[in-house]
Amino acid sequence: MKLTLHIWRQKSARDKGKFEEHLVDDVSPDMSFLEMLDVLNESLIHQGKEPFAYDHDCREGICGACSLTINGTPHGPEAATTTCQLHMRKFKNGDSIFIEPFRARAFPIIKDLVVDRSAFDRIIQVGGFISVGTNQPQDANALPVSKLKAELAMDAAACIGCGACAAACPNGASMLFVAAKVSQFALLPQGQPERKKRVVAMVEQMEKEGFGGCTNFYECEAVCPKQVSVRFIAMMNRDFLGATLTKE
Amino acid sequence: MSLFNWLKSSILSKVVMALTGVLLVAFVCGHTLGNMLIYLGKEEFNAYAQFLQSLGEILWLIRITLFLALILHIIAAIRVKFLNMASKPVKYQVRRYVKAKLTSRTMLWTGSMVLAFLAYHLLHFTIGVTNPKDFHVYEYYAPHNAYGVLPSGAIAKINEPNSKITQNLLDQFESQASKQVMKRHDVYKMVVLGFKNPWISLCYFIGVILLGFHLNHAIQSMFQTLGINHPKYDKCLRNFSPVLSTIIVICMISIPINILLGLTGGAL
Repeated sequence: MKLTLHIWRQKSARDKGKFEEHLVDDVSPDMSFLEMLDVLNESLIHQGKEPFAYDHDCREGICGACSLTINGTPHGPEAATTTCQLHMRKFKNGDSIFIEPFRARAFPIIKDLVVDRSAFDRIIQVGGFISVGTNQPQDANALPVSKLKAELAMDAAACIGCGACAAACPNGASMLFVAAKVSQFALLPQGQPERKKRVVAMVEQMEKEGFGGCTNFYECEAVCPKQVSVRFIAMMNRDFLGATLTKE
Repeated sequence: MSLFNWLKSSILSKVVMALTGVLLVAFVCGHTLGNMLIYLGKEEFNAYAQFLQSLGEILWLIRITLFLALILHIIAAIRVKFLNMASKPVKYQVRRYVKAKLTSRTMLWTGSMVLAFLAYHLLHFTIGVTNPKDFHVYEYYAPHNAYGVLPSGAIAKINEPNSKITQNLLDQFESQASKQVMKRHDVYKMVVLGFKNPWISLCYFIGVILLGFHLNHAIQSMFQTLGINHPKYDKCLRNFSPVLSTIIVICMISIPINILLGLTGGAL
């Protein structure tokens, strides 16, 4: 396959950045998108040029490290797929592909296509956990959980924290991420003691980090590689409102 | 917790927008139902308008509540807009939307245009500034289908359109202390005269369709913001939005269409 790549080049957060055009002509349709970039980077290194910096880790679609906004959609055109699991067979010979970093104020660009997503870590640090004793493990099934709630909690817990929701949101809002992290505990008995404190702390941290507010475009749900539903945003709104009104 | 503190939070700003939105949507629904009375005829429509005016203090209470709701709705919208502009300082050079619709992306624009339309609508039909000639129209009517005694001594049925009750005659009635004939705002005539002008009708078409666009996104958005959802009812709640807004638009624009076609108010 022959492709024309327009890739975002930016030296640092302060640099203005621009697209750089590269022609690649030896792309196999079986390559993943990241492998295609690896091949390009290798040829750039051979030519003595600077390779493009981009994030990746497990390449199995479960770690949430890879990013990239491909032709205007975070993680590319295929639904429910991370960039590392996107294959070149999804593109046509002769295509032009625009590759940009995830864009949001809370995700400052470090270099080229790499953005700093540590804002998500700080949101988790203020409440994305449960406090449990580390003595003898409890009997399995001692806490009854309904089937529906167990399933919903699992759906929320599918979030890999990649940041595509905030990248896709025209408001740069990370409501889907925070909602998933709040709901996975709010749905289960283990999450109840810290429920109100958690939702207030995480939402406040989200706003401190400079993420925007939700205006229900539902772009986040559309690009989420784990198909986390915007239903959780409604659940978080309800929890947050309740917690604000009845905070201890 | 003060309102100022509420507006600091993006989620609570949206709650303010949703709750004020509930009031405004309820008003629009009531307004639509009330407008449909025009199809029952002049008598019912004018009686309804007269009933609303007779509410007095209650009417003003409703007006003030709606006005405050509208102001809060706008303040919250502007607050969220500024916050959101700041959170996405650099836009994508290439952008492809997957789920965001034209209606959801243009809420601020449709909202502002609906506001402008609302201002015109109030000046036109409520305050009577833009078309004073059509606004100051009155009809004489008699409650309980009464008969009046004319100065000649004859008995005439008063509330029939062709009973030829003139101002002059009415004055005579009043001088005879006949309380059976009364004067009221002829809202029916005002509406018919207004919509006979195709430019005014066009203005209302555009205004109402923009309102429909706004509501199409707004109603389901309201449920989402207030956290009203459940896997069982998700689809139902999301479909409620386009269905209700379409019904409102069809009902509202049917009035100028019928008047322009001469189907309503033709005999006037």
